[in-house]
Amino acid sequence: MNAKAQKAKGCGIEPAYYDAVTQAIRSEAVKVLKEGAVSAVIGYLPGRRKSAAVPAVVTTEEEAGRLIFSPACVNNLSLYLTKAKKGILPGGKIGIVAKGCDLRALAGLMGESQIKRDDLFIIGINCAGVQGAVAAGNGQLTEASIAKKCRECTAHTPEGVDFVAGTLPHLDGLTPLEAEELARIEAMPQAERWAYWKEQFSRCIRCMACRQVCPFCYCEQCLCDKNRPQAVESSPRPAGNTAWHIVRAMHLAGRCAGCAECERSCPMDIPLNLLNRRMAQELKELYDYEASMAPQEKGPLNQYKEDDDQSFIK
Amino acid sequence: MPQIITEANLRSLIDSLVKESKLVVGPKEAGSMVLYQPLSNGADLKLGALPRRSSKELFFPICEDILTFGKEDGVTKVKDVDRASFPDAVLIGALPCDAGSPSILDAVFSWDYNDDFYLERRKKSTIVGIACTSCDDACFCTAVGYAPDSPAGSDLFLTPLKDGSYACNAVTEKGEKLVSAHGSLFKEGAAADAAPLAAPDTAKLDLAKIKEWLNTHFEDPLWQSIADVCLGCGACAFICPACHCFDINDEGTPDHGTRRKHWDACGFGKFTNHASGHNPRDIQNKRYRNRIMHKFKYYDDKFGKTLCTGCGRCIRACPVGIDIGDILNKINVQAG
Ligand code: SF4
Ligand code: SF4
Ligand code: SF4
Repeated sequence: MNAKAQKAKGCGIEPAYYDAVTQAIRSEAVKVLKEGAVSAVIGYLPGRRKSAAVPAVVTTEEEAGRLIFSPACVNNLSLYLTKAKKGILPGGKIGIVAKGCDLRALAGLMGESQIKRDDLFIIGINCAGVQGAVAAGNGQLTEASIAKKCRECTAHTPEGVDFVAGTLPHLDGLTPLEAEELARIEAMPQAERWAYWKEQFSRCIRCMACRQVCPFCYCEQCLCDKNRPQAVESSPRPAGNTAWHIVRAMHLAGRCAGCAECERSCPMDIPLNLLNRRMAQELKELYDYEASMAPQEKGPLNQYKEDDDQSFIK
Repeated sequence: MPQIITEANLRSLIDSLVKESKLVVGPKEAGSMVLYQPLSNGADLKLGALPRRSSKELFFPICEDILTFGKEDGVTKVKDVDRASFPDAVLIGALPCDAGSPSILDAVFSWDYNDDFYLERRKKSTIVGIACTSCDDACFCTAVGYAPDSPAGSDLFLTPLKDGSYACNAVTEKGEKLVSAHGSLFKEGAAADAAPLAAPDTAKLDLAKIKEWLNTHFEDPLWQSIADVCLGCGACAFICPACHCFDINDEGTPDHGTRRKHWDACGFGKFTNHASGHNPRDIQNKRYRNRIMHKFKYYDDKFGKTLCTGCGRCIRACPVGIDIGDILNKINVQAG
């Protein structure tokens, strides 16, 4: 279908859908807090701006009654369970609101023994999609504002959760813009592709938002912060930027859940999820591995099998 | 009679300045965003949008070399950067929330140590500010003492008029010089009505009251409640016109390398990490507290100024939706 026809159709998700999910989250969160089943729920509260929502750790029924789900609920909250954010959660079982793509991150963190399923009460969302960037707007999801990842989502329906919030509305098929972009770049001659990425990386200001927002970047000492001796130049210049982006892509290969939070957070609009997806494709081809909602004990790059493909070792 | 410049002449002014070998920096389209970048001609100037990063980078670049070192015949030689070769520059089309920032930063860069890199660039540049005609719900310049038509920090200030031209107000001698050196592009005359200004939808904050509250609330549950979710990235600080922390790194090999100064941020976990391993700001909400304290208390204590022009950039960029405007309102209310 061409882009014009898509536009006319819109992505047609009624605000009533988000309201229903919101109500379901609220009543379940209030319930589990009241019963003492959890000590806190990580969810979203409304921001001052219409188009914004803020992640929040709520511990009272009153606060839980204000939780929301809207197109602005972009964050992957699993980040707050990692040791990078240690010290912000009370002890005991924690409730967490998770979209399908966030559930893949939770599964990945379980596979890496960072969190335990038994310590969580997962409120999964039947997720129709969220917005791409928190731009000024009226906060409604449109064909123009929906996140690229949601256009190609395979995780609308949560699996293995304790409670499912909302009913999935009818979803129109949308043009897979990101897959198309990936194919376009893949088709470039190598030199042109290299020039493309060089240009992208040249805009990087090394604010590290992409790292800090990533649930899998929980290392206490990032290689890229090391300065005695320096492993990767930390100044925002071509050499260090390229090295940082290679490190990022490689260290997340086989771990990235595809939530695309890095790309969303990048103030310089660097299309980081293209790199994530390219690595995921590689992992699929070489090891038949895909991030999913089911925890897998060992990721493909954490183990060795004799019949592993080794053709890339040259 | 005010001086008027038409839009075409404004662009010609840029062409002339470029011909005079001046570095002309202004808002320019850069892919999906607008950035303050060197303009190669008048057509490059893109008005009407707030650039993603502030214009501080003209004076305080993202990264700059401060010296190079290399071994010659077994002896390490150090070479300074030739600051005299920094070009004369004109920053053109800076919005009030950006044009206002260098005059805030001058204080710290010429305080206990004169930052010759910043000061040399500052001395050699002229700022042409422009009144702002569009805003969004993150803007709050009026709440912190600036305004869409505030000429603070500009050498020459342009006010868009309904007929598409600009009324010019030479605020400083530098501004007057710029006008007189290009007199043929300006004309004296009665100004048409001014175009409607941006109208940020925020109430004025009582900065003195906020500061008083900060004086006595270093420890307060507020910090945890607003900033536990902060990621500790540098997005807010890097794109802020007033944040000015930097790091210095020697890069290269022991035999040949460069000492570089580049942006740093107090939100980073490693920012206050001591060599001993002790970190006085050991959790993110303490780092975020520092962001607020530095902007609205410490800088005021030292220099009598606030480190925020209300541009709203940090609000738009924060990956977890932390909203400094909202936080200031909360403090304003708590301060009674
Ligand atoms: S990718 Fe899927 S699960 Fe994730 S936010 Fe988009 S629609 Fe929801
Ligand atoms: S978020 Fe963007 S600008 Fe910041 S370090 Fe990552 S890629 Fe660079
Ligand atoms: S603190 Fe935020 S709103 Fe204030 S000047 Fe900096 S970026 Fe702009």
